[in-house]
Amino acid sequence: MAKFVAIGERLSTTAPIINKAFTERDPEPILKRAEQQLKAGATYLDVNIGPAESDGEDLMKWAVELLQGNFDNVPLALDTSNKKAIEAGIAVYNRAKGKPIVNSADAAGRIEYLDLAAANDAICIALCNGEGIAKDNDERMGYCQLLLERGLEHGMEAEDIWFDPLFLVVKGMQDKQMQVLECIKMFSDMGLNSTGGLSNNSNGMPKAIRPIMDSALVAMAMMQGLTSAIVNPNDLRLMETIKSCDVFKGNTLYADSYLEI
Amino acid sequence: MPFTAKSGKFSANINTLTMGTGDKAIVLGGENVLPFYTFDAEIENAPKVGIEITDGGLEAEPECVKKYYEGCSTVVDMAKKAATFEGVDFLSIHLEGGDPNGENKPTDELINIVKEVADAVDLPIVVCGCKNVEKDAEIFAKASEVLNGKNAVMLAAKEENYKNVGASAGLAYKQIVGAESADDINLAKQLNVLLTQLGVDAKSIVMNVGTAAAGYGYEYVVSTMDRIKAAALQQGDATLQMPIITPVASETWGVKESVATEEDMPEWGPTEERGIDMEVETAAADLASGSNAVILKHPVSVATISKMIKALV
Repeated sequence: MAKFVAIGERLSTTAPIINKAFTERDPEPILKRAEQQLKAGATYLDVNIGPAESDGEDLMKWAVELLQGNFDNVPLALDTSNKKAIEAGIAVYNRAKGKPIVNSADAAGRIEYLDLAAANDAICIALCNGEGIAKDNDERMGYCQLLLERGLEHGMEAEDIWFDPLFLVVKGMQDKQMQVLECIKMFSDMGLNSTGGLSNNSNGMPKAIRPIMDSALVAMAMMQGLTSAIVNPNDLRLMETIKSCDVFKGNTLYADSYLEI
Repeated sequence: MPFTAKSGKFSANINTLTMGTGDKAIVLGGENVLPFYTFDAEIENAPKVGIEITDGGLEAEPECVKKYYEGCSTVVDMAKKAATFEGVDFLSIHLEGGDPNGENKPTDELINIVKEVADAVDLPIVVCGCKNVEKDAEIFAKASEVLNGKNAVMLAAKEENYKNVGASAGLAYKQIVGAESADDINLAKQLNVLLTQLGVDAKSIVMNVGTAAAGYGYEYVVSTMDRIKAAALQQGDATLQMPIITPVASETWGVKESVATEEDMPEWGPTEERGIDMEVETAAADLASGSNAVILKHPVSVATISKMIKALV
Protein backbone atom coordinates (compact mmCIF):
# COMPACT_ATOMS: atom_id res chain seq x y z
CA MET A 1 0.00 0.00 0.00
CA ALA A 2 1.12 3.51 -0.76
CA LYS A 3 1.77 6.13 1.86
CA PHE A 4 -1.19 8.23 2.98
CA VAL A 5 -1.40 11.37 0.86
CA ALA A 6 -1.75 14.54 2.93
CA ILE A 7 -3.05 17.41 0.81
CA GLY A 8 -2.20 20.72 2.49
CA GLU A 9 -5.24 22.95 2.75
CA ARG A 10 -3.70 26.23 3.85
CA LEU A 11 -3.44 27.97 0.48
CA SER A 12 -7.02 29.09 0.36
CA THR A 13 -8.90 32.27 -0.28
CA THR A 14 -10.77 31.58 2.94
CA ALA A 15 -7.60 32.80 4.71
CA PRO A 16 -7.62 36.59 4.38
CA ILE A 17 -3.84 36.87 4.07
CA ILE A 18 -3.77 34.34 1.22
CA ASN A 19 -6.80 35.86 -0.45
CA LYS A 20 -5.03 39.21 -0.48
CA ALA A 21 -1.82 37.66 -1.78
CA PHE A 22 -3.70 35.95 -4.62
CA THR A 23 -5.45 39.18 -5.54
CA GLU A 24 -2.28 41.24 -5.46
CA ARG A 25 -0.11 38.47 -6.94
CA ASP A 26 2.15 38.80 -3.93
CA PRO A 27 4.35 35.66 -3.83
CA GLU A 28 5.74 36.03 -0.34
CA PRO A 29 2.82 34.93 1.91
CA ILE A 30 1.99 32.11 -0.50
CA LEU A 31 5.51 30.75 -0.66
CA LYS A 32 5.84 30.99 3.10
CA ARG A 33 2.72 28.93 3.74
CA ALA A 34 3.62 26.47 1.03
CA GLU A 35 7.01 25.91 2.59
CA GLN A 36 5.53 25.45 6.06
CA GLN A 37 3.17 22.81 4.77
CA LEU A 38 5.78 20.92 2.77
CA LYS A 39 8.23 20.93 5.65
CA ALA A 40 5.51 19.49 7.85
CA GLY A 41 4.97 16.57 5.49
CA ALA A 42 2.31 17.59 2.95
CA THR A 43 2.57 15.62 -0.29
CA TYR A 44 0.20 17.73 -2.36
CA LEU A 45 -0.74 21.36 -1.87
CA ASP A 46 -4.29 22.45 -2.49
CA VAL A 47 -4.53 25.75 -4.35
CA ASN A 48 -7.94 27.17 -3.58
CA ILE A 49 -8.42 30.39 -5.49
CA GLY A 50 -12.14 30.62 -4.72
CA PRO A 51 -14.67 31.23 -7.49
CA ALA A 52 -12.18 33.54 -9.27
CA GLU A 53 -14.68 34.48 -11.90
CA SER A 54 -12.90 37.44 -13.40
CA ASP A 55 -9.23 36.47 -13.63
CA GLY A 56 -9.20 32.81 -12.59
CA GLU A 57 -7.20 31.58 -15.57
CA ASP A 58 -4.46 34.09 -15.10
CA LEU A 59 -4.41 33.60 -11.34
CA MET A 60 -4.24 29.79 -11.45
CA LYS A 61 -1.45 29.87 -14.02
CA TRP A 62 0.47 32.30 -11.89
CA ALA A 63 -0.03 30.19 -8.73
CA VAL A 64 0.95 26.90 -10.41
CA GLU A 65 4.10 28.37 -11.90
CA LEU A 66 5.00 30.15 -8.69
CA LEU A 67 4.65 27.05 -6.50
CA GLN A 68 6.13 24.50 -8.88
CA GLY A 69 8.97 26.84 -9.75
CA ASN A 70 9.92 27.37 -6.13
CA PHE A 71 9.33 23.89 -4.75
CA ASP A 72 10.73 21.41 -7.27
CA ASN A 73 7.49 20.81 -9.19
CA VAL A 74 5.46 20.12 -6.06
CA PRO A 75 2.24 18.33 -7.05
CA LEU A 76 -0.89 20.44 -6.68
CA ALA A 77 -4.64 20.15 -6.28
CA LEU A 78 -6.36 22.84 -8.31
CA ASP A 79 -9.35 23.99 -6.37
CA THR A 80 -11.88 26.41 -7.85
CA SER A 81 -15.34 26.40 -9.29
CA ASN A 82 -13.93 28.12 -12.38
CA LYS A 83 -13.32 25.24 -14.81
CA LYS A 84 -11.38 27.35 -17.27
CA ALA A 85 -9.01 28.30 -14.47
CA ILE A 86 -8.34 24.63 -13.71
CA GLU A 87 -7.60 23.97 -17.37
CA ALA A 88 -5.31 26.97 -17.52
CA GLY A 89 -3.47 25.69 -14.44
CA ILE A 90 -3.06 22.22 -15.91
CA ALA A 91 -1.73 23.72 -19.14
CA VAL A 92 1.35 25.02 -17.30
CA TYR A 93 1.56 22.18 -14.76
CA ASN A 94 4.68 19.99 -14.57
CA ARG A 95 3.86 16.33 -13.84
CA ALA A 96 7.33 15.24 -12.74
CA LYS A 97 6.24 14.76 -9.11
CA GLY A 98 2.64 13.64 -9.72
CA LYS A 99 -0.49 14.30 -11.73
CA PRO A 100 -2.55 17.40 -10.96
CA ILE A 101 -5.68 16.88 -8.87
CA VAL A 102 -8.94 18.49 -9.94
CA ASN A 103 -10.80 19.56 -6.81
CA SER A 104 -13.59 18.65 -7.26
CA ALA A 105 -16.49 16.91 -8.95
CA ASP A 106 -19.75 15.94 -7.29
CA ALA A 107 -22.78 13.95 -8.35
CA ALA A 108 -24.86 17.02 -9.07
CA GLY A 109 -23.86 20.31 -10.70
CA ARG A 110 -20.14 19.59 -10.76
CA ILE A 111 -20.10 16.18 -12.41
CA GLU A 112 -18.43 17.64 -15.50
CA TYR A 113 -15.24 18.21 -13.52
CA LEU A 114 -14.64 14.49 -14.02
CA ASP A 115 -14.78 14.99 -17.79
CA LEU A 116 -12.30 17.81 -17.42
CA ALA A 117 -9.95 15.63 -15.37
CA ALA A 118 -10.29 12.80 -17.89
CA ALA A 119 -9.52 15.08 -20.82
CA ASN A 120 -6.40 16.34 -19.06
CA ASP A 121 -5.11 13.07 -17.56
CA ALA A 122 -5.58 14.42 -14.05
CA ILE A 123 -6.70 12.92 -10.77
CA CYS A 124 -10.19 14.01 -9.75
CA ILE A 125 -11.72 14.26 -6.30
CA ALA A 126 -15.25 12.92 -6.57
CA LEU A 127 -17.57 14.05 -3.82
CA CYS A 128 -20.26 11.44 -3.23
CA ASN A 129 -22.90 13.99 -2.71
CA GLY A 130 -25.82 15.31 -4.72
CA GLU A 131 -28.11 18.12 -3.69
CA GLY A 132 -27.97 18.40 0.10
CA ILE A 133 -26.30 15.93 2.41
CA ALA A 134 -26.76 12.25 1.55
CA LYS A 135 -29.24 10.64 3.92
CA ASP A 136 -27.48 7.30 4.13
CA ASN A 137 -24.76 5.15 2.60
CA ASP A 138 -27.08 3.71 -0.02
CA GLU A 139 -27.34 7.18 -1.40
CA ARG A 140 -23.59 7.84 -1.09
CA MET A 141 -22.72 4.59 -2.84
CA GLY A 142 -25.22 5.39 -5.57
CA TYR A 143 -23.31 8.61 -6.23
CA CYS A 144 -20.04 6.73 -6.01
CA GLN A 145 -21.21 4.34 -8.74
CA LEU A 146 -22.43 7.20 -10.89
CA LEU A 147 -19.16 9.11 -10.58
CA LEU A 148 -17.05 6.01 -11.13
CA GLU A 149 -18.92 5.11 -14.31
CA ARG A 150 -18.72 8.66 -15.58
CA GLY A 151 -14.96 8.73 -15.06
CA LEU A 152 -14.40 5.32 -16.64
CA GLU A 153 -16.60 6.22 -19.62
CA HIS A 154 -14.34 9.16 -20.24
CA GLY A 155 -11.27 6.99 -20.12
CA MET A 156 -10.04 7.57 -16.57
CA GLU A 157 -8.34 4.88 -14.52
CA ALA A 158 -10.35 4.08 -11.38
CA GLU A 159 -7.28 4.83 -9.26
CA ASP A 160 -7.34 8.44 -10.46
CA ILE A 161 -10.78 9.06 -9.00
CA TRP A 162 -10.45 9.82 -5.30
CA PHE A 163 -13.83 9.42 -3.63
CA ASP A 164 -14.85 11.85 -0.94
CA PRO A 165 -17.51 10.64 1.50
CA LEU A 166 -18.00 14.23 2.72
CA PHE A 167 -16.84 14.47 6.30
CA LEU A 168 -19.56 15.93 8.49
CA VAL A 169 -19.37 18.21 11.46
CA VAL A 170 -19.67 16.48 14.83
CA LYS A 171 -21.46 19.39 16.41
CA GLY A 172 -24.83 18.85 14.82
CA MET A 173 -24.26 15.60 13.00
CA GLN A 174 -22.67 13.36 15.58
CA ASP A 175 -25.07 10.55 14.70
CA LYS A 176 -23.75 10.45 11.09
CA GLN A 177 -20.08 9.97 11.92
CA MET A 178 -20.05 6.17 11.81
CA GLN A 179 -21.89 6.25 8.50
CA VAL A 180 -19.09 8.28 6.97
CA LEU A 181 -16.52 5.84 8.33
CA GLU A 182 -18.48 2.87 6.99
CA CYS A 183 -18.68 4.57 3.62
CA ILE A 184 -14.87 4.79 3.52
CA LYS A 185 -14.72 1.05 4.18
CA MET A 186 -17.03 0.46 1.22
CA PHE A 187 -14.77 2.53 -1.06
CA SER A 188 -11.80 0.61 0.23
CA ASP A 189 -13.49 -2.77 -0.31
CA MET A 190 -14.04 -1.75 -3.93
CA GLY A 191 -10.34 -0.97 -4.21
CA LEU A 192 -10.98 2.74 -4.63
CA ASN A 193 -8.91 5.65 -3.40
CA SER A 194 -10.51 8.16 -1.09
CA THR A 195 -9.95 11.60 0.36
CA GLY A 196 -11.86 14.47 1.89
CA GLY A 197 -11.88 17.52 4.08
CA LEU A 198 -11.38 15.65 7.28
CA SER A 199 -11.11 18.64 9.59
CA ASN A 200 -14.72 19.48 8.79
CA ASN A 201 -15.61 17.16 11.65
CA SER A 202 -14.24 19.55 14.24
CA ASN A 203 -15.68 22.76 12.86
CA GLY A 204 -16.88 25.07 15.58
CA MET A 205 -14.92 23.32 18.33
CA PRO A 206 -12.40 25.12 20.56
CA LYS A 207 -9.01 25.46 18.88
CA ALA A 208 -7.30 23.20 21.40
CA ILE A 209 -9.78 20.40 20.80
CA ARG A 210 -9.61 20.28 17.02
CA PRO A 211 -6.25 18.51 16.63
CA ILE A 212 -7.43 15.83 19.04
CA MET A 213 -10.65 15.20 17.18
CA ASP A 214 -8.94 15.34 13.78
CA SER A 215 -6.24 12.89 14.87
CA ALA A 216 -8.72 10.43 16.29
CA LEU A 217 -10.81 10.60 13.16
CA VAL A 218 -7.89 10.22 10.78
CA ALA A 219 -6.75 7.11 12.65
CA MET A 220 -10.21 5.59 12.48
CA ALA A 221 -10.59 6.58 8.83
CA MET A 222 -7.20 5.12 7.90
CA MET A 223 -8.23 1.90 9.59
CA GLN A 224 -11.26 1.94 7.30
CA GLY A 225 -9.02 2.42 4.28
CA LEU A 226 -8.89 6.18 3.71
CA THR A 227 -5.94 6.83 1.37
CA SER A 228 -5.70 10.62 1.53
CA ALA A 229 -7.13 13.68 3.22
CA ILE A 230 -7.17 17.42 2.75
CA VAL A 231 -5.72 18.63 6.04
CA ASN A 232 -3.68 21.22 7.82
CA PRO A 233 -0.22 19.62 7.76
CA ASN A 234 0.99 22.07 10.36
CA ASP A 235 -1.18 20.32 12.90
CA LEU A 236 1.62 18.35 14.50
CA ARG A 237 -0.58 15.92 16.37
CA LEU A 238 -2.46 15.09 13.20
CA MET A 239 0.68 14.52 11.13
CA GLU A 240 2.23 12.38 13.85
CA THR A 241 -0.92 10.30 13.88
CA ILE A 242 -0.90 9.89 10.10
CA LYS A 243 2.76 8.87 10.09
CA SER A 244 2.18 6.39 12.91
CA CYS A 245 -0.85 4.90 11.18
CA ASP A 246 1.21 4.58 7.98
CA VAL A 247 3.64 2.46 9.99
CA PHE A 248 0.91 0.24 11.43
CA LYS A 249 -0.60 -0.23 7.99
CA GLY A 250 2.77 -1.13 6.49
CA ASN A 251 2.60 1.87 4.16
CA THR A 252 6.00 3.01 5.34
CA LEU A 253 8.84 1.17 6.93
CA TYR A 254 9.49 2.03 10.56
CA ALA A 255 12.72 3.74 11.62
CA ASP A 256 13.31 5.49 14.95
CA SER A 257 13.31 8.86 13.16
CA TYR A 258 10.06 8.18 11.29
CA LEU A 259 8.41 11.33 12.62
CA GLU A 260 11.21 13.50 11.27
CA ILE A 261 10.92 12.37 7.67
CA MET B 1 -9.81 -11.37 -23.38
CA PRO B 2 -6.22 -11.20 -24.61
CA PHE B 3 -3.58 -11.45 -21.92
CA THR B 4 -1.65 -8.26 -21.39
CA ALA B 5 1.43 -8.74 -19.31
CA LYS B 6 1.78 -6.07 -16.68
CA SER B 7 5.22 -4.56 -16.41
CA GLY B 8 6.90 -4.80 -13.05
CA LYS B 9 8.70 -1.53 -13.66
CA PHE B 10 8.45 0.90 -10.74
CA SER B 11 8.31 4.67 -10.90
CA ALA B 12 11.06 4.90 -8.28
CA ASN B 13 14.73 4.08 -8.86
CA ILE B 14 17.65 2.92 -6.81
CA ASN B 15 20.17 5.78 -6.59
CA THR B 16 23.09 5.66 -8.96
CA LEU B 17 26.44 5.90 -7.30
CA THR B 18 29.85 6.14 -8.93
CA MET B 19 32.79 4.43 -7.25
CA GLY B 20 36.34 5.36 -8.17
CA THR B 21 37.51 7.78 -10.85
CA GLY B 22 38.69 7.75 -14.43
CA ASP B 23 38.39 4.85 -16.86
CA LYS B 24 38.00 2.25 -14.13
CA ALA B 25 35.18 4.05 -12.33
CA ILE B 26 32.05 1.93 -11.92
CA VAL B 27 28.41 2.80 -11.39
CA LEU B 28 26.13 0.99 -8.95
CA GLY B 29 22.33 1.08 -8.93
CA GLY B 30 19.93 3.09 -11.05
CA GLU B 31 17.48 0.25 -11.65
CA ASN B 32 13.71 0.59 -11.32
CA VAL B 33 13.00 -3.15 -11.28
CA LEU B 34 13.66 -6.09 -8.98
CA PRO B 35 17.07 -7.76 -9.22
CA PHE B 36 17.72 -9.18 -12.70
CA TYR B 37 14.17 -8.37 -13.88
CA THR B 38 15.54 -7.18 -17.21
CA PHE B 39 12.29 -8.28 -18.89
CA ASP B 40 10.48 -5.46 -17.07
CA ALA B 41 13.00 -2.74 -17.84
CA GLU B 42 16.61 -2.44 -18.83
CA ILE B 43 19.13 -2.63 -15.98
CA GLU B 44 21.67 -0.11 -17.08
CA ASN B 45 24.26 -0.83 -14.42
CA ALA B 46 24.85 -4.54 -13.89
CA PRO B 47 25.86 -5.58 -10.36
CA LYS B 48 29.59 -5.35 -9.72
CA VAL B 49 32.13 -7.72 -8.23
CA GLY B 50 34.95 -6.75 -5.92
CA ILE B 51 37.93 -8.77 -4.77
CA GLU B 52 39.07 -8.69 -1.18
CA ILE B 53 42.61 -8.59 0.13
CA THR B 54 43.58 -7.92 3.72
CA ASP B 55 46.28 -6.07 5.59
CA GLY B 56 47.51 -9.49 6.69
CA GLY B 57 48.79 -10.18 3.17
CA LEU B 58 49.33 -13.62 1.80
CA GLU B 59 49.75 -15.19 5.23
CA ALA B 60 46.16 -14.38 6.16
CA GLU B 61 44.67 -16.01 3.06
CA PRO B 62 43.21 -19.50 3.00
CA GLU B 63 45.62 -22.11 1.58
CA CYS B 64 43.65 -22.48 -1.62
CA VAL B 65 43.82 -18.77 -2.40
CA LYS B 66 47.57 -18.41 -1.86
CA LYS B 67 48.58 -20.06 -5.13
CA TYR B 68 46.85 -17.35 -7.14
CA TYR B 69 49.13 -14.78 -5.59
CA GLU B 70 52.37 -16.65 -6.20
CA GLY B 71 55.37 -14.38 -6.13
CA CYS B 72 53.63 -11.64 -4.16
CA SER B 73 55.54 -10.56 -1.09
CA THR B 74 53.56 -7.50 -0.01
CA VAL B 75 49.95 -6.43 0.19
CA VAL B 76 50.64 -4.02 -2.65
CA ASP B 77 51.90 -6.87 -4.84
CA MET B 78 48.71 -8.74 -4.07
CA ALA B 79 46.60 -5.72 -4.94
CA LYS B 80 48.32 -5.39 -8.29
CA LYS B 81 47.82 -9.07 -8.98
CA ALA B 82 44.19 -9.03 -7.84
CA ALA B 83 43.47 -6.21 -10.25
CA THR B 84 44.39 -8.52 -13.13
CA PHE B 85 42.00 -11.36 -12.29
CA GLU B 86 39.07 -11.92 -14.60
CA GLY B 87 35.84 -10.17 -13.59
CA VAL B 88 37.25 -7.84 -10.96
CA ASP B 89 35.46 -4.46 -10.94
CA PHE B 90 36.86 -3.06 -7.72
CA LEU B 91 39.28 -3.80 -4.92
CA SER B 92 38.37 -4.11 -1.27
CA ILE B 93 41.04 -3.83 1.37
CA HIS B 94 39.92 -5.36 4.62
CA LEU B 95 41.81 -3.97 7.60
CA GLU B 96 41.01 -6.77 10.01
CA GLY B 97 44.42 -6.45 11.67
CA GLY B 98 43.28 -3.20 13.27
CA ASP B 99 40.98 -4.92 15.72
CA PRO B 100 42.04 -4.03 19.28
CA ASN B 101 40.95 -7.50 20.36
CA GLY B 102 43.18 -9.04 17.73
CA GLU B 103 46.47 -7.85 16.29
CA ASN B 104 45.67 -4.23 17.14
CA LYS B 105 47.86 -2.79 14.40
CA PRO B 106 48.27 0.97 14.70
CA THR B 107 46.02 3.02 12.46
CA ASP B 108 48.96 4.69 10.72
CA GLU B 109 50.41 1.36 9.69
CA LEU B 110 47.08 0.33 8.17
CA ILE B 111 46.63 3.66 6.44
CA ASN B 112 50.06 3.33 4.85
CA ILE B 113 48.96 0.07 3.32
CA VAL B 114 45.75 1.65 2.06
CA LYS B 115 47.66 4.49 0.49
CA GLU B 116 50.23 2.27 -1.18
CA VAL B 117 47.53 0.01 -2.55
CA ALA B 118 45.51 2.93 -3.88
CA ASP B 119 48.62 4.34 -5.54
CA ALA B 120 49.44 1.00 -7.14
CA VAL B 121 46.07 0.15 -8.70
CA ASP B 122 43.57 2.27 -10.59
CA LEU B 123 40.51 0.25 -9.58
CA PRO B 124 37.84 1.77 -7.32
CA ILE B 125 38.73 1.13 -3.67
CA VAL B 126 36.61 -0.09 -0.77
CA VAL B 127 38.09 0.19 2.70
CA CYS B 128 36.60 -2.39 5.06
CA GLY B 129 37.09 -1.72 8.75
CA CYS B 130 38.07 -4.03 11.57
CA LYS B 131 34.57 -4.18 13.14
CA ASN B 132 35.62 -2.27 16.25
CA VAL B 133 33.54 0.90 16.19
CA GLU B 134 36.07 3.24 17.82
CA LYS B 135 39.02 2.00 15.81
CA ASP B 136 36.97 2.04 12.61
CA ALA B 137 36.04 5.67 13.15
CA GLU B 138 39.74 6.47 13.33
CA ILE B 139 40.63 4.28 10.37
CA PHE B 140 37.92 5.70 8.13
CA ALA B 141 38.82 9.29 9.01
CA LYS B 142 42.45 8.78 8.02
CA ALA B 143 41.68 6.56 5.04
CA SER B 144 39.27 9.21 3.75
CA GLU B 145 42.03 11.74 4.00
CA VAL B 146 44.72 9.76 2.18
CA LEU B 147 42.24 8.68 -0.49
CA ASN B 148 41.04 12.23 -1.06
CA GLY B 149 39.62 12.57 -4.56
CA LYS B 150 39.50 8.81 -5.18
CA ASN B 151 35.77 8.45 -4.55
CA ALA B 152 36.39 5.47 -2.31
CA VAL B 153 33.92 3.56 -0.16
CA MET B 154 34.30 3.48 3.63
CA LEU B 155 32.64 0.25 4.73
CA ALA B 156 31.10 1.04 7.04
CA ALA B 157 29.53 3.45 9.49
CA LYS B 158 27.44 1.84 12.20
CA GLU B 159 24.87 3.13 14.62
CA GLU B 160 27.64 3.67 17.21
CA ASN B 161 30.04 5.67 15.04
CA TYR B 162 27.99 7.13 12.20
CA LYS B 163 28.58 10.69 13.40
CA ASN B 164 32.35 10.39 13.19
CA VAL B 165 32.41 8.37 10.00
CA GLY B 166 29.75 10.51 8.36
CA ALA B 167 31.58 13.70 9.27
CA SER B 168 35.00 12.58 8.07
CA ALA B 169 34.23 10.34 5.10
CA GLY B 170 31.03 12.02 3.96
CA LEU B 171 31.33 15.68 4.84
CA ALA B 172 35.05 16.45 4.99
CA TYR B 173 36.36 14.26 2.18
CA LYS B 174 33.27 13.49 0.08
CA GLN B 175 33.99 9.80 -0.02
CA ILE B 176 31.20 7.24 -0.26
CA VAL B 177 29.83 6.35 3.16
CA GLY B 178 28.85 2.77 3.84
CA ALA B 179 25.99 2.30 6.30
CA GLU B 180 26.05 -1.03 8.06
CA SER B 181 23.14 -2.77 9.73
CA ALA B 182 23.13 -6.48 10.45
CA ASP B 183 19.92 -7.83 8.90
CA ASP B 184 17.89 -5.14 10.61
CA ILE B 185 15.72 -3.34 8.10
CA ASN B 186 14.54 -0.65 10.53
CA LEU B 187 18.11 0.15 11.49
CA ALA B 188 19.12 0.21 7.82
CA LYS B 189 16.57 2.93 7.24
CA GLN B 190 17.40 4.74 10.47
CA LEU B 191 21.11 4.92 9.67
CA ASN B 192 20.41 6.41 6.27
CA VAL B 193 18.13 8.98 7.86
CA LEU B 194 20.71 9.86 10.51
CA LEU B 195 23.51 10.17 7.99
CA THR B 196 21.47 12.43 5.74
CA GLN B 197 20.36 14.50 8.72
CA LEU B 198 24.04 14.92 9.48
CA GLY B 199 24.42 16.42 6.03
CA VAL B 200 25.81 13.45 4.11
CA ASP B 201 24.46 13.40 0.56
CA ALA B 202 21.96 10.54 0.23
CA LYS B 203 23.43 9.82 -3.20
CA SER B 204 26.82 9.15 -1.59
CA ILE B 205 25.59 6.44 0.74
CA VAL B 206 25.84 2.74 0.07
CA MET B 207 24.28 0.16 2.38
CA ASN B 208 25.75 -3.00 3.80
CA VAL B 209 22.59 -4.58 5.16
CA GLY B 210 24.38 -7.73 6.20
CA THR B 211 24.62 -11.25 4.92
CA ALA B 212 25.21 -14.72 6.26
CA ALA B 213 26.89 -17.63 4.55
CA ALA B 214 24.32 -19.68 2.64
CA GLY B 215 22.75 -22.11 5.07
CA TYR B 216 23.51 -20.01 8.13
CA GLY B 217 20.18 -18.31 8.74
CA TYR B 218 20.27 -17.07 5.19
CA GLU B 219 16.47 -16.74 4.88
CA TYR B 220 16.68 -13.65 7.03
CA VAL B 221 19.11 -12.05 4.60
CA VAL B 222 16.70 -12.67 1.73
CA SER B 223 13.75 -11.19 3.55
CA THR B 224 15.77 -8.15 4.67
CA MET B 225 16.96 -7.34 1.16
CA ASP B 226 13.56 -8.11 -0.34
CA ARG B 227 11.81 -5.75 2.03
CA ILE B 228 14.38 -3.01 1.46
CA LYS B 229 13.95 -3.20 -2.30
CA ALA B 230 10.18 -3.31 -1.92
CA ALA B 231 10.22 -0.18 0.25
CA ALA B 232 12.65 1.58 -2.08
CA LEU B 233 10.89 0.77 -5.33
CA GLN B 234 7.27 0.01 -4.52
CA GLN B 235 6.75 2.58 -1.78
CA GLY B 236 9.25 5.02 -3.24
CA ASP B 237 10.99 5.31 0.13
CA ALA B 238 13.89 7.66 -0.59
CA THR B 239 15.59 6.68 2.66
CA LEU B 240 16.15 3.16 1.33
CA GLN B 241 17.03 3.82 -2.30
CA MET B 242 20.75 3.51 -1.70
CA PRO B 243 22.53 0.69 -3.54
CA ILE B 244 23.57 -2.33 -1.49
CA ILE B 245 27.13 -3.64 -1.31
CA THR B 246 27.63 -6.98 0.40
CA PRO B 247 30.92 -8.35 1.76
CA VAL B 248 30.53 -12.05 1.13
CA ALA B 249 34.06 -13.38 1.60
CA SER B 250 34.30 -12.37 5.25
CA GLU B 251 31.24 -14.51 5.97
CA THR B 252 31.80 -17.58 3.86
CA TRP B 253 35.51 -18.22 4.43
CA GLY B 254 34.97 -18.78 8.13
CA VAL B 255 32.34 -21.53 8.05
CA LYS B 256 33.19 -25.19 8.44
CA GLU B 257 32.23 -26.07 4.87
CA SER B 258 35.01 -23.75 3.67
CA VAL B 259 37.70 -24.54 6.23
CA ALA B 260 37.42 -28.23 7.19
CA THR B 261 40.30 -30.11 5.60
CA GLU B 262 39.78 -33.03 3.29
CA GLU B 263 41.52 -35.33 5.78
CA ASP B 264 38.96 -34.41 8.42
CA MET B 265 36.00 -34.54 6.06
CA PRO B 266 36.86 -36.90 3.20
CA GLU B 267 33.19 -37.34 2.26
CA TRP B 268 32.89 -33.58 1.61
CA GLY B 269 35.47 -33.52 -1.14
CA PRO B 270 38.27 -31.00 -1.79
CA THR B 271 38.41 -27.94 0.50
CA GLU B 272 39.01 -25.49 -2.31
CA GLU B 273 35.92 -26.55 -4.23
CA ARG B 274 33.81 -26.25 -1.11
CA GLY B 275 35.15 -22.81 -0.31
CA ILE B 276 34.43 -21.59 -3.81
CA ASP B 277 30.97 -23.18 -3.76
CA MET B 278 30.04 -21.49 -0.50
CA GLU B 279 31.25 -18.15 -1.77
CA VAL B 280 29.56 -18.44 -5.18
CA GLU B 281 26.26 -19.68 -3.77
CA THR B 282 26.11 -16.92 -1.18
CA ALA B 283 27.08 -14.22 -3.66
CA ALA B 284 24.54 -15.43 -6.24
CA ALA B 285 21.81 -15.42 -3.61
CA ASP B 286 22.80 -11.94 -2.38
CA LEU B 287 22.64 -10.60 -5.92
CA ALA B 288 19.29 -12.26 -6.56
CA SER B 289 17.99 -10.69 -3.34
CA GLY B 290 19.08 -7.19 -4.25
CA SER B 291 22.80 -6.58 -3.71
CA ASN B 292 24.25 -4.17 -6.26
CA ALA B 293 27.78 -5.34 -5.54
CA VAL B 294 29.44 -8.27 -3.78
CA ILE B 295 32.93 -8.61 -2.34
CA LEU B 296 34.59 -12.00 -2.83
CA LYS B 297 37.95 -13.54 -2.14
CA HIS B 298 38.66 -16.48 -4.43
CA PRO B 299 39.56 -15.54 -8.03
CA VAL B 300 37.46 -18.42 -9.36
CA SER B 301 34.44 -17.15 -7.42
CA VAL B 302 34.98 -13.68 -8.84
CA ALA B 303 35.18 -14.96 -12.39
CA THR B 304 32.15 -17.23 -11.92
CA ILE B 305 29.89 -14.55 -10.44
CA SER B 306 31.02 -12.05 -13.02
CA LYS B 307 30.09 -14.50 -15.77
CA MET B 308 26.72 -15.13 -14.15
CA ILE B 309 25.97 -11.40 -14.06
CA LYS B 310 26.97 -10.97 -17.69
CA ALA B 311 24.70 -13.82 -18.70
CA LEU B 312 21.72 -12.30 -16.86
CA VAL B 313 22.01 -8.58 -17.51
